[in-house]
Amino acid sequence: MRSGRLWPVHLVLAVGAAAMVMPFFWQVLTALKSFTEATRMPPVWIPSFEWSNFAEVFEAGPFLRQFGNTVVMTAGRTLAQLLFCSLAAYAFARLRFPGRNVIFIALLSVLMVPGQLFLIPQYQIVQSLGWLNTLPGLIVPGMFSAFGTFMMRQFFMTLPAEVEEAARLDGANPLRIFWSVMLPLARPGLLALGVLTVLWSWNDLMWPLIVNTDPEQMPLSAGLSALQGEHMTDYPVLMAGSLMASAPIIVVFVIMQKQLIQGIAFTGSK
Amino acid sequence: MSALDRAVAVRAAARPSARRRLRDREWVWGYAMIAPLVLGLGVFYLWPVAQSVYYSFTEWTLFGDATWIGLDNYRQVLTDPANAKALRNTFLYGGLTLLGIPVSIAVAALLGTRGLKLVSFYRTLYFLPVVTMPAAVAMIWSWLYNGDYGLINYALSFAGIEGTSWIADPDTALYAVAVVGIWTQIGYNAVIFMAGLQSIPSHLYEAASIDGAGRVRQFFGITLPLLSPSVFFVSVLSVINGLQMFDLVYLLFRKGNPAREETQTVVSLFFSRAFEEGAKGYAAAMAVVLMLITLALTVFQFRMQKRWVHYA
Amino acid sequence: MTGKAWALVCAGALVAGLAGCSSSDGGSSDGKVTLTYAYWDKENQGAAMEKIAREFTRTHPNIEVKLQFTPNKEYWTKLQTAAAGGTAPDVFWMNGPRIGLYASQGALLPLSDRIARDKVDMTKFPKSLVDLYTLDGKQYGIPKDFDTIGLWYNKKLFDAAKVDYPDENWTWDDVRAAAKKLTDPAKGVYGIGAMAWPQELYYNTIFQAGGYVVSDDKKKSGFDDPATIEGLKFWKDLLDQKLSPTVQQMTDNDPIEMFKSGRLAMWYDGSYDAPQYFRTEGLDADVAPLPAGPKGRATVIHGLANVIYAKTRHPQEAWEFVKFLAGEQANRIQAETGAVIPAYEGLQETWVKSMPKFNLKAFIDQLPYARPYPVSKNTAAWSRPELDAMTKAFTEGQDVEAVAREFAATMNAALAQEK
Repeated sequence: MRSGRLWPVHLVLAVGAAAMVMPFFWQVLTALKSFTEATRMPPVWIPSFEWSNFAEVFEAGPFLRQFGNTVVMTAGRTLAQLLFCSLAAYAFARLRFPGRNVIFIALLSVLMVPGQLFLIPQYQIVQSLGWLNTLPGLIVPGMFSAFGTFMMRQFFMTLPAEVEEAARLDGANPLRIFWSVMLPLARPGLLALGVLTVLWSWNDLMWPLIVNTDPEQMPLSAGLSALQGEHMTDYPVLMAGSLMASAPIIVVFVIMQKQLIQGIAFTGSK
Repeated sequence: MSALDRAVAVRAAARPSARRRLRDREWVWGYAMIAPLVLGLGVFYLWPVAQSVYYSFTEWTLFGDATWIGLDNYRQVLTDPANAKALRNTFLYGGLTLLGIPVSIAVAALLGTRGLKLVSFYRTLYFLPVVTMPAAVAMIWSWLYNGDYGLINYALSFAGIEGTSWIADPDTALYAVAVVGIWTQIGYNAVIFMAGLQSIPSHLYEAASIDGAGRVRQFFGITLPLLSPSVFFVSVLSVINGLQMFDLVYLLFRKGNPAREETQTVVSLFFSRAFEEGAKGYAAAMAVVLMLITLALTVFQFRMQKRWVHYA
Repeated sequence: MTGKAWALVCAGALVAGLAGCSSSDGGSSDGKVTLTYAYWDKENQGAAMEKIAREFTRTHPNIEVKLQFTPNKEYWTKLQTAAAGGTAPDVFWMNGPRIGLYASQGALLPLSDRIARDKVDMTKFPKSLVDLYTLDGKQYGIPKDFDTIGLWYNKKLFDAAKVDYPDENWTWDDVRAAAKKLTDPAKGVYGIGAMAWPQELYYNTIFQAGGYVVSDDKKKSGFDDPATIEGLKFWKDLLDQKLSPTVQQMTDNDPIEMFKSGRLAMWYDGSYDAPQYFRTEGLDADVAPLPAGPKGRATVIHGLANVIYAKTRHPQEAWEFVKFLAGEQANRIQAETGAVIPAYEGLQETWVKSMPKFNLKAFIDQLPYARPYPVSKNTAAWSRPELDAMTKAFTEGQDVEAVAREFAATMNAALAQEK
C-alpha cells in the first residue's frame, strides 16, 4: 500500500487519540486556574497560572512523605516479586522434585480466587504482626505473586534446555545456574514483570486504605482519596494533586513502554 | 562471550557422571528455591482463603470478637436487596465495558496498517489512561462530568443539550462510570488485539487480495475470525474486571451522593461491610458467594467459547 | 520481616530522601513520650490545635503531641479500623453520635476516677454536653467546644435584590419569600441551599415544626411523625420551587463553596464554619438566629469532646493532655482563633469578639431554646441509612413523606437491636 493512502488512517487515529488525551489536557489546564476561573462558563482557555494550587496540595497533607512511601512500597514489592517469583519459577520450570506439579497448581489456584477472599485475614495477620500503619504492612503481602511466578515459569520454559545443561555438567549447582546463566537470559521477562508490578503497586488503592489509616504512612493513592475527602470540590487543587501523583508513573511508562506492552501481550497470549 | 555461548561451550566438555550426581540432590535445591514464595503465598493468600471461609460462619462485634452463627450470614447475604442491586450494577457495568471492545479492535487494526508511521506515538497516547492512577482518573472525570462547570456539559451545550450532573444523577451515574471504565481499558485491550493481529499469517491476506477481496471483506473474512481467541480473552477479562470494580466507584460515589445506591458494586459493598461497618463475618460470606459467581461465570464463558471462538 | 530486610527498606527510603523510619511506638529512650491526637477539621481548627499542642509541650517538656488530621468523611472509618486493630490515636475528638458505641464497646478509657482524683471542675461545662459523654454513670469525654446553627446570608446579594437582612423575628415564611426574590437563574444565583444534611439543615426544621428524630426513650424513630415530615417538607418545597440548587448540583459543587462564591444567598450552617467564611476574600456575609417554625424556635446544639483510647500505651500522659485541653488556657486559645465556641464557662464572649464583622452573638443567643443533637446508643446503625434515605427524599421526583415513613421502619428496626 502506498503511503499516500494512509492519511485517512492517520486522521481517524489522531481524532481518537485527541479524545483519549482530552481529559488530561483539561486536568493540566484546570490545575493552573484559580477557583474563580475554573468555575466560569464558558470555560477560560488561558489560565492565570495559579501555582498556589500545587502549594495547597503540600499544605493539605504530607504529600512528600506519601510520595516517599509510594516509592518505597513500589520498589519493595517489585524487587521482592522479581526475586521470589523468578527463583521459584526456575525451580518449577527446570528442576525435578516430588510434588512439583501439585504445589504449582495449588499456588496457581490463588489466581482463580477473587481478592476479597484474602483481604480480611490478610488484614488480621498484618494487625497481629503489629504492622498496621507501617511500611512493612503496606509492602509485605504484595511481595509474593502467583501471576509473576506463572509468567516467569512460562518464560523460562521458552529458553533452550541446552543452555543450562551445559552449565550443569560443568558442576554448577542450580542456584548458581539460575543466578549467573538463566537470570541474565530472562532479562526481558523480568523487565516485563517488573513494569507490570510497578504499575499495579503505584496505583494500588484498596489495601492501603485498609491497613494504613495514618496519613503519614499512606501512599499517594490513599492520600489523593483523603485530599478529595477534604477539598471536596476545590477542583484546581484536586487536579494539581492528581497530576503530581500520577505523573511519575506516566514517565516510567513512556520510558519502559516496550516492556510493559510485552508484559500485557503475554497476559493475552497465555 | 555471552552466557549462552559460554554455556554451549561448557557443554561440549561435559561428562555424564557429573549430571548424575547433580540429579540426586536436585530436589533439595528445588524445595529451597520455591520456599520463600510458597511461604509467602501460603501465609498471605492460601491460608487466608481457608480463614475467610471459616469467618463466613461467624459474627463479629465492631471492635473484633467473633462468634459462630452457622449459615446466618449466607441467609442474610442472599436475601439482602442491597446485594441484589449491587450484583445487578456490577453486571451492568461489566456488560457496558464490553462495548469498548469494537473500539479497541478498530484501534489495533488501524495501528497495524502496514507502512504506518508514528505507531508508537499513537500507542502511547491511547495507553495513557491505562497507567494513570485510578484515584487521579476519578478526580479528572468527576470534574469533566460536573453539572455546572464540566467540559462535557459545555460541549453538549453546542448541540443544544442541557446536560445533568452526570455522576450525582441516579439515572446516569452508572453509565457515566462505565464510560470511564471503557476509556481506561481501550489502550490495554488494543495492545492485546495488536498481538493477536500480528500472529495472523500475512499470506492469508495476500491470497485474499489475489482473489479480489477488498479490505473490508478481508477484515470480516480473515481478521475477525482469527482474532476471536483474543476477543474471547478480552471479554473474559472485562467481565472479571467488572466483577472487581472498586476504585472508581469508591472514589466517585461518596456518602451523600444521591446516586450512591444506584452505583454500588459487589466489591465496594464488601469493602464498606468489612472495613467501614466492621461486619467481617457477613463480608466474608459475600466474598465466598462472589467466588462462586466468578467460578460459574468463567465455566460458562469457556463453554460458550466453543460456539464462536475460532482457534487456527 | 527480619531486621535486615527492614533495614533494607529503610535504606531505600533514605535513598529516596523522604520517608523516615520512625517506629510506630511513641516511646523513646530518653523518656520522651509522643502522643497522637486525631482531629478532623484542619480548615477551621488546625491552627488552634497546633498552638494548643505547642503550649502543652512547653509546659510538659517530656511529652510531644503529634497531630493527626483525617478529613471528616473518612475519620470514623479510619478510627474504627484503627480501634479494632489496636492502633487508634492516644487522644482523639469524639462526637455525640459515636460516643455510645465507642464507650459501650470498651474503646475508651473511663475518666471518672481521674477527674475526681485531680479535681477537674465539670461544672465549668454545659451540663447537656457533660451528660452527652456520660454512659452508665461513667464520664468518657470532657467537652471541648459546642456549636449551634445559624442563618448565614450574603449581604451583597440581599442588597442587590433589595431584601431586608434576616433578624431574630424571621419565620419560615420570611425565608420562603426572601428565597423567591433572591433566586436569579440567569446569574446562577439561588435563594438558599437545601442540601440533605441533618445537623445543619433538616434537624433544625424538624424541631421548629415540633417533630423529633428519636424518642426520649430511644425506642422509636420520629420520621413517621407528621410534624417531623413537615420539617423535611420545608426544604423539599424550596427544592421543588427551584429556589435551591438540586441535590445533584450540590454533590458536584459543595454548597459551602457555592455560598462562598456568591451562588447561594442564604445558607444554614454551624458556628464551626465561621472561620472559613471569615477568611474568604470577597465574601460579604453575616449571620442571624435561625428563623422560627410553626412551633417556635429551635437550633441543634452539639459539642465535641476529647477522649482517650482504652489501649493507649501512655494513659498517664494522655490524661495530662486531656486535662490540659479541658483547662482555661486551651479553651482560650480555641476562643481567640475563633475556631469554635469553647465549652469552658465564661469564654464565649472572647469567641464572639474574635470575628467582629460577624454577628456571632446570634449563635450564643439561641442557647435557651437549643435542642441536643439526637443520638442513641448505636447512632451509626441508623444515621448511615438515614443519610441515604434523606438524600433520596430530597432528589427530584421523590415523595419526601413516603421515603421518610419507609425509613422510619428501618430506623425502628435498628433501634430495636440496641441493648
